[in-house]
Amino acid sequence: MREEFKLLVALQDLDIMIKEAEEKKTSDQLKDMGFQLDGLEELRKARAKLAGKIPTALRNRYEKLAGHYSMAIIPVTENRCLGCFVKLPTSFFSSAYSSELITCENCGRLLFIP
Amino acid sequence: MESKKLASLFQEDLCIFSLRSRKKASVMQEMVRHLKASGKITDEHFILEMLKNRESLGSTGLGLGAAFPHGRSIAIPELTVLFARSPSGVDFEALDSKPTKIFFLILAPSEKGAETYLDLLSRLTALVQQPETLEKLYEIKDFESLQAVLGGDGK
Repeated sequence: MREEFKLLVALQDLDIMIKEAEEKKTSDQLKDMGFQLDGLEELRKARAKLAGKIPTALRNRYEKLAGHYSMAIIPVTENRCLGCFVKLPTSFFSSAYSSELITCENCGRLLFIP
Repeated sequence: MESKKLASLFQEDLCIFSLRSRKKASVMQEMVRHLKASGKITDEHFILEMLKNRESLGSTGLGLGAAFPHGRSIAIPELTVLFARSPSGVDFEALDSKPTKIFFLILAPSEKGAETYLDLLSRLTALVQQPETLEKLYEIKDFESLQAVLGGDGK
């Protein structure tokens, strides 16, 4: 997997965590269990630092997709994009395995192949 | 979720009954490496990074000797829980500043909602509020005992 794609995946994981901490319902549930969520600002700083390491064009592509879908990067299971459930052509995977950053041709999301 | 179902979420190969690590970062690393060795995850990097970030939001060491590192990542294929125990305890920056002896590492796929793991987290945090159960968890040395404490046979 290309280094910049690894950074993108980490960015998405961080975005999901920030969103959970910002959402009242989820954060209330976590606080009720006894968790403290005081470090939200720390997370935002970590997010900005991480985003700064990603090439601008790729980051912009991610941000655009993340603005449109709940997840810009989506896993592939049984040769299907788990975002739109379209079956991906076998030829897709040969390029994926050669570390190319691949996109679902149907929905445009970036694909994560475990 | 019934107690039997709670027990069934644990697997024998996802338990560490005597952690070797003595520090917070290395405990997380040991647990994540164990997951990798068991084939539950393919990439340690993403999970460790996510867990470190989660700790910067606020320690998941809730006190009473119990910690609940948790989070969601695209690198997690399915809801996974790992139990670990440190007989001597670890400084996990717990809210009560006391050593942490038991760990429930809970990981969920990011394409599913937070509710995927919040229910499990809620059950487990409630479990350690019971003093008798907590004492038993401190002393757990095998999977059968863990299943008994969790209230089911795991089938």
